[in-house]
Amino acid sequence: MEVPDDAPPQGWIVKGVTTYIYRDFIRWIRYRVGVVSTLVLPAAWLLFVGLALPVKFTGNYLDFITPGILVMTILTAGISSGSLLMFDKILGFLNKFLAMPVPRESILVSKILFISVRGLIQATIILILAVLIGATIMNPLQYGLTYLILFLFGVFISAFSTTVALYLDDHDSFAAFTAMVTMPLFFASSALMPYDVMPGWLSAIAHVNPLSFAIDAIRDVGAGSIPVIPIVLLLVFTAVVVVLSGYVFRKVTV
Amino acid sequence: MTTIQTENLTKNFGDLCAVDNLCLTVDKEIFGLLGPNGSGKTTTVLMLTTLLSQTKGNASICGHDTRREPEKVRDCISYVPQDMAVDTTLTGRENVLIFARLYGVKNPKDRVDELLAVMELTDRADDLAKTYSGGMRRRLELAEALVHEPEVIFLDEPTLGLDVGARKNIWNHIHALNKKGMTIFMTTHYMDEADQYCDRVGIINHGKIAALGNPSELKAHLMKDVITVTIDGEYAPTQLDGTLFVGQLGDTISFTAENGREALPLLVDALNHAGNRVKAMSLREPSLDDVFLQSVGKQEEPKGFEEWKFRMMLHHRGGS
Repeated sequence: MEVPDDAPPQGWIVKGVTTYIYRDFIRWIRYRVGVVSTLVLPAAWLLFVGLALPVKFTGNYLDFITPGILVMTILTAGISSGSLLMFDKILGFLNKFLAMPVPRESILVSKILFISVRGLIQATIILILAVLIGATIMNPLQYGLTYLILFLFGVFISAFSTTVALYLDDHDSFAAFTAMVTMPLFFASSALMPYDVMPGWLSAIAHVNPLSFAIDAIRDVGAGSIPVIPIVLLLVFTAVVVVLSGYVFRKVTV
Repeated sequence: MTTIQTENLTKNFGDLCAVDNLCLTVDKEIFGLLGPNGSGKTTTVLMLTTLLSQTKGNASICGHDTRREPEKVRDCISYVPQDMAVDTTLTGRENVLIFARLYGVKNPKDRVDELLAVMELTDRADDLAKTYSGGMRRRLELAEALVHEPEVIFLDEPTLGLDVGARKNIWNHIHALNKKGMTIFMTTHYMDEADQYCDRVGIINHGKIAALGNPSELKAHLMKDVITVTIDGEYAPTQLDGTLFVGQLGDTISFTAENGREALPLLVDALNHAGNRVKAMSLREPSLDDVFLQSVGKQEEPKGFEEWKFRMMLHHRGGS
């Protein structure tokens, strides 16, 4: 096929990204167990931890725990971004895609966006459910900021997990990596309890945990303030990880 | 302009030289790259498809250097790896449509219909690909590979794991594509197929081309008859005028002879004299297998596990 030289495809990356997202989206909704699991899991967490946990650290514990469950959901969702890429890699799809003229970065961008947006869908379910079982209703600005923080955090985590998946060779190592990262990060964060009831060592870890960072920011939003500095910092961290991920992607795929 | 040209193409993985100063020209033909496992076939294909960068030397596809203009190279090629990577939870039509969109072809829907028809998949186009047979999945992959009318298609083991009918069908399609002027560059383990369908074959061993040419020409380099001998125990090297040692595969030794009928009894004597215990002998015409054996020499046992089996296993587990 003669491709005219005057067609350096502007907007081709967009076409690539939307097509790859379309592919992942259809594969996700056709895989019904996957859909049910992504929707039920966060609900289960909210109900069990928010309502059934016998310990109550704060006044309205549901208001306190919801940001934690939201961020945890984004964490588990985001980590699976690498898993998507890993399967494309071991099943031979990635090589096919890389041998195409469509900008290679669109693969990476599509995974990160798809996973982050899918995480936001899960977050919506949690937010609705939380209100239904007694959490305080926030105003639209507060919801908007909550989504912004969750989205940034989602991009941060999925870019990170994709980068790791690029380095690892098989899915078992990747599964081991996600298990190793997810649970400790969650329990050593401010998700379940405020800093002042934590033991000193835990509080120290929780303060530097990126998860707490996002959780605290959402709590600030819920409390009525606008956490400008945390959002800007999150933006910077996310940008750094995305650039790093893009760099690794280029290096690995040349 | 030659479609595929390589000059001293070399790839080292640490101390291992996977591809060693490969110089190859392929143009508007069906070219088969043959070789034992680990001989550098896949590494060569990966370099030509811009998926791997070489250590030294260069390669050009349709006049574009694979390192300097990879996008232009990707524009005129298609690569079908051996993994049978089709999305099983998507329909055949959706699978091809994704490729049509990614390549940015005009009127993607019409193009997809056209290709599904060419690959005889129209009837099943809206069924999920998981209901497709191996041969249909391969044809679906060919349809995907053809959406942008590439000038070269790289096929890695295109008939691996298919039954006889499906293989023949795939070969007919490949043949038809080549008739339309497309260059086909493929790797295969099936000598009989390479013999029958490839215009030229290159036998690669330890990263070097050991034999190159038309299958009939290559067979003609051997003498008229091939004698295979099955022996008991270690082979003690045997010399006999008028015969030539071809190679050994397990307990089977091959010789080639100008006149096999006359050489047979002499060869038995010579073998016995050298201390071999002959169990069986047979006489036949040379095949590409013999050429392969002669070029590659004594084959080592394939080491480690075969990655494609592992991938197939993962695939069957429903990982996609």
